[in-house]
Amino acid sequence: MIIGGNRIPFSRAGGKYSRVSNQDMFTAALEGLVARFGLQGERLGEVVGGAVLKHSRDFNLIRESVLGSSLSPQTPAYDLQQACATGLEAVVTIANKIRLGQVESGIAGGADSISDAPIAVSEGLRRVLLEAGHARSTGSRIKAFLKLRPSDVAPLTPSTDEPRTGLSMGEHQAVTTARWGVTREAQDEIALASHLNLAAAWESGFFDDLVTPFQGLTRDQNLRADSSAEKLAKLKPVFGKRLGGPEGEGPEPTMTAGNSTPLTDGASAVLLGSRAWATERNLPVLARVVDAETAAVDYVHGHEGLLMAPTHAVARLLARQGLTLQDFDLYEIHEAFAATVLSALAAWEDADFCRDELGLDAPLGSIDRARLNVHGSSVAAGHPFAATGGRIVATAAKLVAAKAAETGRTARVLISVCAAGGLGVAAILEADPDDATAATGTTTTAQEG
Amino acid sequence: MTAGAPEGYRVERLAAVPGLGGLYAKGATSSARIAATRALPGSVRGGRDGSDPTLPSVALRVDHVATDLPDVADRLARYQRLVGERVGDTIPAGFLHVLGFPVATGLMTRGDFPLPLLGMVHTANSASLVRPVRLGETLAVESWAEGLRPHRRGVTVDLVTRVLVDGEPAYRGVSTYLAKGVHLGSRASDDGSAPSADRSPHAGLPFVPTGRWRLGASTGRDYAAVSGDRNPIHMSALSAKAFGFPRAIAHGMYTAARALAEVGPARGETYDWSVEFAKPVLLPSTVDVSITRGTAGDEGAAGLDRWSYTVQDSRRGRTHLRGAVTRRDRTHD
Repeated sequence: MIIGGNRIPFSRAGGKYSRVSNQDMFTAALEGLVARFGLQGERLGEVVGGAVLKHSRDFNLIRESVLGSSLSPQTPAYDLQQACATGLEAVVTIANKIRLGQVESGIAGGADSISDAPIAVSEGLRRVLLEAGHARSTGSRIKAFLKLRPSDVAPLTPSTDEPRTGLSMGEHQAVTTARWGVTREAQDEIALASHLNLAAAWESGFFDDLVTPFQGLTRDQNLRADSSAEKLAKLKPVFGKRLGGPEGEGPEPTMTAGNSTPLTDGASAVLLGSRAWATERNLPVLARVVDAETAAVDYVHGHEGLLMAPTHAVARLLARQGLTLQDFDLYEIHEAFAATVLSALAAWEDADFCRDELGLDAPLGSIDRARLNVHGSSVAAGHPFAATGGRIVATAAKLVAAKAAETGRTARVLISVCAAGGLGVAAILEADPDDATAATGTTTTAQEG
Repeated sequence: MTAGAPEGYRVERLAAVPGLGGLYAKGATSSARIAATRALPGSVRGGRDGSDPTLPSVALRVDHVATDLPDVADRLARYQRLVGERVGDTIPAGFLHVLGFPVATGLMTRGDFPLPLLGMVHTANSASLVRPVRLGETLAVESWAEGLRPHRRGVTVDLVTRVLVDGEPAYRGVSTYLAKGVHLGSRASDDGSAPSADRSPHAGLPFVPTGRWRLGASTGRDYAAVSGDRNPIHMSALSAKAFGFPRAIAHGMYTAARALAEVGPARGETYDWSVEFAKPVLLPSTVDVSITRGTAGDEGAAGLDRWSYTVQDSRRGRTHLRGAVTRRDRTHD
């Protein structure tokens, strides 16, 4: 069961968090969660999370964060890394262990910093340093250093390019965007909704019990509450500019900085526990993790788009649960780019794609767009890779609990997150009205003892 | 795919693979000699009577090329890392080309080879790996020249290299070189009039990038270090200028080997690999790669075992190279 979540506001790269590390940020998110639910000194079953851009010294990032928190030092932890799906996969992992009875409670999350990203030395310098380190005499050590060339001294900064293709995620999505014919207007519409919905959620106090201020930041820095369709329409395209060819005979580029996710710093954490564990501690229960599915696509030679794996994950998840795509009160689809969401929606509506790629008799169909990312998503909030899963799960759990409390019936949310490497994770959360009423403090007419 | 030297060729055995450094010095000398003995500027004469030049009907052969030496293993690993091959004991076709290259160069620097080594342009390459070759196996390498023919910009010649393991052919590579401005006196050009773009199996399909290569200024030097091919046109802007290039150019076989590597494990253990080189890649530069599985109009399972690739400068719309990789170890009916 998902009990609650906590994150720090997400900062734009080079902003308020430029002097803090992944460990600092995750510890802050963790500590806020501990404080919110009174877990000081508690030995939890497990804390699981990770970071996508990670220093080699952070080999035990999560365990070190636990030791820096007020949780019991006897709380075990481990690092998990699945690119942008890290946070969601961590939630699924803990939920599964709870279901198996291996743990009673756990925290899942992640942190990522672009501002404090590790910088590596060149391959040449690295080889020289390793060779010198293994050398047994001063002479052979000097000999190793003599192999150094001036160009070896230049540092390597991490890039968000796909290692196997050399194309950035944006360039990959640009191909998918063109293939699905996603328009600039539709992308800007998603981007605008993301900003306005997230701004409204902040205004309504929705994040009061989901966010702990950090380093002087009290709201997501990337949020533009005053964004407008006109402003978004003015931005120049940044991805897919070469697709048109030298004569411009190909597709026009449509993806701008406005309808893409910015590079961001941040951390998030989600508390999960068995019903008994929660009841014992008088903790509320927001939602349960019903099921989850991870998928991967063959993107290397462009058979499918890099970020299209969630389309497969969702299809298999629905089949296993005997649900249709329309059986949800809410949808949380991670906005790596506005076009990623639109490409997935278009794919689910496409009979050929659903038959040839997903192996379905009929297309999954369309969704009620009023139920999609109702409190904004990554285009507005930002996307600190490993922290996004925790942000989405906490938001989705709280939303679905509110929906159950409001309607007096079980409410259901579909979550999907795409990730580098052609990966994607989908999960279903459900909230029951009784739990939701207790957790959200609202009363409904459907109460029972 | 594995045929040996043409009939009438005799085999000359070498004790070991020659060193490329000495061959380049020799190549420079013989190039100068060829230039000096040309009866007319821009033409090559085979004999004093003015008849067409002939290729030496000789195959150079090295019977024992050991691959179980630590320096070969080290060089192979560096090659694999550089071109993006999986690092391991399986020798990719591109490295067999590298191993055979000095033998082919040895042939081109012989006194009876009629074309100048320096300034020749590698225009195409096709290779077949018919049996997996692994590190530690002892190889026999043989090389000969054949197919001297006119081209609209000069003459072309095929340097064929075979690699045999235990007497069985494992690899056969054909490197086509163009000697620019050289003409066969008695034969009219019958080749090269059609633009090569039209022969591409996927001409007409839109270019969809599946990869991007950022090639640094040292790309030529890095490949030279593992391949031994230190042709000045690859080494620095200064040395390339001497041969008429504005900057250093990437080795064609480096770019083709990267494309082969990007096809990945699906190519199988044995495969055919071809490339045609168009505009050279000036260094440094960023180029887009497009790999397409199957070919238009070639539906079905057999088509799926073929990959076409194109490397281009998308901004200027210039094609650098294009080619194909076809898996051999599966037959489809």
